[in-house]
Amino acid sequence: MKETVIDAHNLSKIYDEKTVPVYALNNVHLHIARGEFTAIKGPSGSGKTTLLNMIGGLDVPSNGYVEINETNITNLKGNNLIDFRLNNIGFVFQSYNLIPVLTARENIEFIMLLQSRPKAEREQRVWELLKQVGLEDKANKRPGELSGGQQQRVAVARALAPKPQFILADEPTANLDSISASNLLDMMAKLNQEENITFVFSTHDQRVIDRARRVITLEDGKIVQDTLPTIISHSHSEPQT
Amino acid sequence: MLIKIAWRNIWRSRKRSLIILAAVGIGLWTGIFLMAFYTGMIEQRINAAISTELSHLQLHHPTFRNEYEIPYHLPQGREMLQKISKDARVKVATGRVVVKGMIASASGSSGITINGVMPAEEQRLTNLPGKIVEGNYFTPPKTNEIILSKKLLDKLNLSLNRKVILTFQDKDGNLASSAFRIVGIFKTINGPYDDSNVFVAIQDLDALAGIPGELNEISVLLQSSEMLELCQRDFIQLFPETKVESWMQLSPELGLTVSVGDQMVYIFMGIILLALAFGIVNTMMMAVLERTKEIGMLMALGMNKLKVFTMILLETFFLILAGCPGGLLAAFATLALTNRTGIDLSFYGQLYSSFGYSPIVHPVLKFQHLEIIMLLVLITALISALFPARMALRLKPAESLKK
Repeated sequence: MKETVIDAHNLSKIYDEKTVPVYALNNVHLHIARGEFTAIKGPSGSGKTTLLNMIGGLDVPSNGYVEINETNITNLKGNNLIDFRLNNIGFVFQSYNLIPVLTARENIEFIMLLQSRPKAEREQRVWELLKQVGLEDKANKRPGELSGGQQQRVAVARALAPKPQFILADEPTANLDSISASNLLDMMAKLNQEENITFVFSTHDQRVIDRARRVITLEDGKIVQDTLPTIISHSHSEPQT
Repeated sequence: MLIKIAWRNIWRSRKRSLIILAAVGIGLWTGIFLMAFYTGMIEQRINAAISTELSHLQLHHPTFRNEYEIPYHLPQGREMLQKISKDARVKVATGRVVVKGMIASASGSSGITINGVMPAEEQRLTNLPGKIVEGNYFTPPKTNEIILSKKLLDKLNLSLNRKVILTFQDKDGNLASSAFRIVGIFKTINGPYDDSNVFVAIQDLDALAGIPGELNEISVLLQSSEMLELCQRDFIQLFPETKVESWMQLSPELGLTVSVGDQMVYIFMGIILLALAFGIVNTMMMAVLERTKEIGMLMALGMNKLKVFTMILLETFFLILAGCPGGLLAAFATLALTNRTGIDLSFYGQLYSSFGYSPIVHPVLKFQHLEIIMLLVLITALISALFPARMALRLKPAESLKK
């Protein structure tokens, strides 16, 4: 049996609880195992980003809780939660969200600096990651000097840098042209297959949905469909740490 | 890395940052220059007061300065003067007979302080001959010579070599008077002092006052102002029956001017920095508002509140500190120039002179003042950083990322 990385129990997010309650999420149960390549799809306002935010510890549910590797992150507060995110969750955002004043290399290194990793380790990992995302030659370019696809690759490298339990990617291809999107998806799929890295996407991009091995459909804050995960045998089967 | 991010961040909006840097530079320049100007003006006033009017220390009979009455002279004043003059810390000491009296000419009269001085010692102590603009200093063995100010001369419609009558109460309370010939006309930067002081030789006055060979004032100029407190304490012990007062005690308003002057300059500097702080807070708040999404992203990725606060604090510090070198350089250059040439305010000369200040001011910057200014600048940076940093810390990553 695959190890569960994300365990969401009875997740609800209610806005305007005192007047007319609006359910952004309504009693969602979700288990994601290590190595999954999962897409959460649904129309705008279906609760995709809200769910991702809760899994990522960026938002607090009105009811229910989220466990990451058996740690209830809903109970974590302040710097404990921030530190947990830093060490366990990688984020890739729709609009890249790189630090514009840092180079690609520095953007990746920055996360490891927050983790207080030694310089030698940081240097080594930065070059490893740049190689993985195919941007070694762009190491000293600032985000403004990179294309959208290249920036998103840096964002993926940055998300991988702290060696997280999984990566949450919110509409990662939304701002990319089809070639860049395809290249990015190829790269993430390769990382998933070769490195057993868990990816969870929120998307309504059919290209992502087509590549996902598990697709969860949300509507009005509820899971209305959840395809069974297709587990592919991995060349590297040991879990990430 | 935080330092690198903060430094690069302030150059993201180059024009906006340059405006703030210019404001900081100009504020610092103005503040330092004003402080130096005021310090220079006060120091010149104090130096003039010490060298011309008060000296560092004066010794009197304990009740003499209440009414300036002749009977309250210093017992064995000349022996005291000898002892004081032998002290290695004393640059020069002189004895005087000082009386309040009246000067009269054919065209008018005026209340004055008559200073009976020892010509040679007075020359060394107050450089009275150096202040003579017309005529000569005392020329012994001639007697009944008087030196008075240009201002008094004009007031009484007198001229050089004319005679005036000095009248005052002698030791026994009787009116004493004598005619004196004007041999010299002096001028200092202190209008009120010029208006009310005349100088005669001590031997022409002491006998007239009924205290031949006595002194009622000993004036002491020290080698250095730093010896003042110690010397005063020693002289008090040495002459317990005598009142030994420093220039600050003799002229409390002057001592007060120094402390009030310092406070005023700091208040002025504070106002400049406060105005700057508003500009900086505004700039930094704009910077935070523009980067809401970015800060939210940093928090989402795992940047804790302390680091976010530090980043904003560093940006504010850099914004202020980057403006400092320009302001300091401009201030130093201005001071180097004006300290040498002085700032000529003679078009207000009469006004300055009537308060005892020189119309040509040589600004003086003290290291201690510079330290305090830089400390104030750092405090301003810290305070200015608090509001934007607080704003940044209140951001919620999920909401910020939506923007």
